[in-house]
Amino acid sequence: MNQSNINTQKANKYDAIVIGSGMTGGIAAKELTQKGLKVLMLERGREIKHPEDYDTANKAPWEFEHRGKVPINSAEEYWSNNRFGTLANEEAGAFFTNDKQNPFIEKRPFDWIRAYHTGGKSMHWGRQTYRWGKHDFEANAKEGVGIDWPIRYEDIAPWYSYIEKFVGISGQKEGWDIIPDSDFLPPMAMLPPEIHFKDAVMKKLNRKVTIGRIANLSQAQPIHTALGRASCQYRNKCSRGCPHGGYYSSMAGAIPAAAQTKRLTIRHNAIAESLIYDETKQKATGVRVIDQVDKSVTDYFAKIIFVTAGSMNSAALMLNSKSSRFPNGFGNDSDQLGRNVMDHHLGSGATATVEGFEDDYYFGSRPTGLYIPRFRNWDGNQRKDYLRGFGYQGGASRSSWNRGIGMDGFGAEFKKSLTEPGGWTLGFGGFGEILPDPNNRIYLDPQKKDQWGIPMIVFDAAFSENDLAMRRDIMVAGAEMLEAAGFKNITTYNRETHMGLGIHEMGTARMGHDPKTSVLNKYNQVHACKNVFVTDGACMVSASCVNPSLTYMAITARAADYAVGELKKRNL
Amino acid sequence: MHRREALAKVSLLLGGALSGPTLMALGRWDNAAAGATLRDKLNLSAQQKQIIAEVAEMIIPRTDTVGAKDVGVPAFIEMMINDCYYSPEHRSFMAGLTELEGLKFLQMSAAQKTDALKQIEQKTKEQMKAYNAQTIKFGDNQDLEAMNAVKLGLPFWRLMKELTLLGYYTSEGGMKASFEYVPSPGKLELTKLKPGQKTIVY
Repeated sequence: MNQSNINTQKANKYDAIVIGSGMTGGIAAKELTQKGLKVLMLERGREIKHPEDYDTANKAPWEFEHRGKVPINSAEEYWSNNRFGTLANEEAGAFFTNDKQNPFIEKRPFDWIRAYHTGGKSMHWGRQTYRWGKHDFEANAKEGVGIDWPIRYEDIAPWYSYIEKFVGISGQKEGWDIIPDSDFLPPMAMLPPEIHFKDAVMKKLNRKVTIGRIANLSQAQPIHTALGRASCQYRNKCSRGCPHGGYYSSMAGAIPAAAQTKRLTIRHNAIAESLIYDETKQKATGVRVIDQVDKSVTDYFAKIIFVTAGSMNSAALMLNSKSSRFPNGFGNDSDQLGRNVMDHHLGSGATATVEGFEDDYYFGSRPTGLYIPRFRNWDGNQRKDYLRGFGYQGGASRSSWNRGIGMDGFGAEFKKSLTEPGGWTLGFGGFGEILPDPNNRIYLDPQKKDQWGIPMIVFDAAFSENDLAMRRDIMVAGAEMLEAAGFKNITTYNRETHMGLGIHEMGTARMGHDPKTSVLNKYNQVHACKNVFVTDGACMVSASCVNPSLTYMAITARAADYAVGELKKRNL
Repeated sequence: MHRREALAKVSLLLGGALSGPTLMALGRWDNAAAGATLRDKLNLSAQQKQIIAEVAEMIIPRTDTVGAKDVGVPAFIEMMINDCYYSPEHRSFMAGLTELEGLKFLQMSAAQKTDALKQIEQKTKEQMKAYNAQTIKFGDNQDLEAMNAVKLGLPFWRLMKELTLLGYYTSEGGMKASFEYVPSPGKLELTKLKPGQKTIVY
């Protein structure tokens, strides 16, 4: 790179740089600005203004030309998004990342689903929100899998509470160790067939069911309305972006909170190319950025750097940050950077039709469903064929007109019958824990580069025997529950899926006590460079089977608190 | 839970699942460059267009509410096959149209037309079994290659029915005539069905 073309002005100086504006970058920026730091947030994608840029949010179904289906052109542009889903449809497709323009290499198939814009995937997340339990932090050590977590539930519990109040989580207090209660907003209603199901599986199988815990405001609190957020409108069109701020996203929550301090600067179209390391100071001094539009190069400087670019991009950025001290990538003395890729495997489950409840109906489209917490390898329910376990997410609904597609018949009577609510179905899919394995990894291609001259990421990861055994059990155990509830036409499924589809990718710069086997310490500092913090999913040591965003956010807030304390003590 | 629902929609396990290019994309890992060779464009005669319109109108006829033709379903179907389906569906769709042409469908009486469609509907059940066998799989994740070798398109009747219902019930005229359309419910409530209660759509 021609050094003379690089903008390295003094004006590019901040207290902290946060790389990424998504789920964790948002929290990092909020915490650091609220604690008095001048923060630069770098977002590689375009700007989306909340709420005015959610241009599909209020469209009627008939205003989408292909009515929710994905045209082939989009399917091919967004091939990773579209392999198993309809994410690239006209409702929200423009808010995902074009895979053709942002290619990656698959040594083994990986569904890498990205959202390069303000707020990142926090705009699209499933919003299901669960605390990890004590067991999740202890399992690796007990079972001799991977390495031990350097923190325990007690370290993170107060930060869970803190984040939950800010984000707003609707849910039912249950008092269960497997998924500890959050600080909840009121729960959303369970539907009558779901209540029947819950009672039956508790009675016959001693398995728990609760209403899905969801980051939608069932009742907005002052902490939410102060940011312009309002209660959920039960439109269930969250993926288009919520004009009401009814669900939590970085753009509805953390970024406005950070902006209120007047200490936040956001730079869009800013792709972090590398971390700048000063060999004499033995510190990172800044971030080299390439503008995604005009490809100009700028160096930004700060006392501390939070790497929150998303697990895969955070690791890739560090792998691309080479120096005499770090010839194999930033902080990669352990050779663990990019390894131990984890996700949650999904795409297996069970479904059935429900007889009865013909008079029951509902008004409003509920943005959550049922949650069935892990019951395998828990509470004496041991499996010989796999470690850890899975939770189920699903729910009941009455069928709509689309039941007609698979039904016999046509004509006037058929037409009329499809205007009425159809029968109930109840089903759910498993979310299974994937174990850390150093051979599940990403690395940078030694030759191939993207249009910005940055090495392309190679994915080399796949499910293990443990995962496949668990997926078979997800079908069997699901059918058992539907049967226990007396439901009919039980069908089980186990779709061919790849790692990545859970969009819970994590583990590529794991925390740990020992710098020889981990990248980060217990406060998410790079072992060998203490003013760099990695607090997104990359830091995870194991995956649990519950949705991870809450844990990422809590870890981020904890690390930010520590970072500011260390700065004040002049330790950084 | 939209993301998960979007995934669930693709599984054909429930009768009402929607089809699309996603299913073909299943094979992308094996066949990365196949996309371009699977593209196709319908070249329909006036008579074939008439058959599409007639079949769509027989599925959703004008009654006391608007019918398929009233809300533009025939043109919608043609557009959707072109935009959203690869060549296997183009072949199966054209095969169905050719079959009806051969039967002189347009010259049939109303009763004969109904019988012809009923026969096609029965035959489609067998075709759907073969189709599902290649797209859905239970148990281990080992036999994808064998499934990809088949590459059957969705049968004509299934495409006609799905696209007619989709085009009709999501059109402004069809949706408002058929359902209670509530774009912003503002609350979630458990209710009881009222007599003549229509499906609420959002």
